[in-house]
Amino acid sequence: MNEPTFLILTALAGESRHGYAVIEDVEQMTGGRVRLRAGTLYAALDRLRGEGLIEVDREEVVQSRLRRYYRLTGAGEQSLQTETDRLRAQATIAEGRLRARRTNFGGATA
Amino acid sequence: MSSEARYRRLLTLYPRDFRREYGDEMLGVLMSDPRPGVPQALDLVRGAVLAHLRLAFTGQSRAARVVQIVGATLLFALALHRVSGVLSTRAVVDDPSWVTIDTTSWVRLAAWGVALAGAWLGSRWLGAAGAAVGLGNEIAVPFQSYLVTPASVRYADWFIVTAMVVLAAGLVAERGALRMRGWSPATAEGLTVRAWPLVVAAGALMVVHGMAFAYQLGSMRNGFVLVAGLFVLVFAVRQPRELRGRLAAWAAPVLITVPLMQWGFGDFIEFTVRNPDTIRPIGPLQWAAMVLIPAAAFLGVARLNNRIERDRSVNR
Repeated sequence: MNEPTFLILTALAGESRHGYAVIEDVEQMTGGRVRLRAGTLYAALDRLRGEGLIEVDREEVVQSRLRRYYRLTGAGEQSLQTETDRLRAQATIAEGRLRARRTNFGGATA
Repeated sequence: MSSEARYRRLLTLYPRDFRREYGDEMLGVLMSDPRPGVPQALDLVRGAVLAHLRLAFTGQSRAARVVQIVGATLLFALALHRVSGVLSTRAVVDDPSWVTIDTTSWVRLAAWGVALAGAWLGSRWLGAAGAAVGLGNEIAVPFQSYLVTPASVRYADWFIVTAMVVLAAGLVAERGALRMRGWSPATAEGLTVRAWPLVVAAGALMVVHGMAFAYQLGSMRNGFVLVAGLFVLVFAVRQPRELRGRLAAWAAPVLITVPLMQWGFGDFIEFTVRNPDTIRPIGPLQWAAMVLIPAAAFLGVARLNNRIERDRSVNR
């Protein structure tokens, strides 16, 4: 799973959101490092809908424009959980090795 | 031009169905986003290309597996044709020492053998590795003589495009190892390659074609090619209806190379023949046409097929 997909699923794990709210939430989550653009976002949303990981929650019209809210499905929750476990396992390994490295070198950095 | 008008124009690059589904919503997001400019436009263009590709490849995994198996088999047979041609000549000439097989021919045979094994086992990485080396080889062969006779690319183009198609098909193909069920290979996932003996027969004819000169069958060479082509055509027709249209999309890039080379490069070939001492390399536009037209043929036929299938499901 690539990073934008992971972040979009994470944004929708909190609550159902419309497109621009997903962009803002992803930006907030990553401290401004990732700010999705519309082309990237909707390519991902279309793919995730096709894979059954997200679905449309509701629609509303704001200032004569359609606003569609998306939410995570059961399969999406499962997929996000699997990816989260994988990332956590990798982060734990990295953390352990960094700790061991600091112990071996008496806290000195190369 | 206002931002909205510019975004509306960029959104027309997307497939119609995508635009109908997300166009209004995307426009709302774009108008809320305070980052107009070139990166935003490039992101939309990239998204539109991805949407077209996704549409073209949707539901293609089963057809892609058939294309991978058939394509790898035929390219393996063609590689064997080159080697068997030389070996059979060595067997019949008085002095075989001057008849040698170059390393490229052996590498090509091995590469397509690996690609075929990958297609048979349903191993994506093995199929991709074999096809990538095979493709590299198909490209390398005409380029060995490109500086002397640029026209050699013309005769190799359809091999190169076929190799590209096999590589691309292998990357999106449905997985699962093949087992022979009667005369047809089949996967546990329900894919059955019908009329398989026709592909084997076409491959065998190509090998015989390679040995024709050695065994005084030179006059029958065109006949072998025609019958092999006919076998492949009958094979395609014998596939289930839902697979046939998709197979046509994969075959389109290969088939389009024939008129492309015949008419698109006619002047180039004529110039090369009339001026054997002057080298005129293939121009940038011609290179672009050789890559883009086969790709456009795939996308065009895939889109057309999707539309026919959609209309058929609506009318059902």
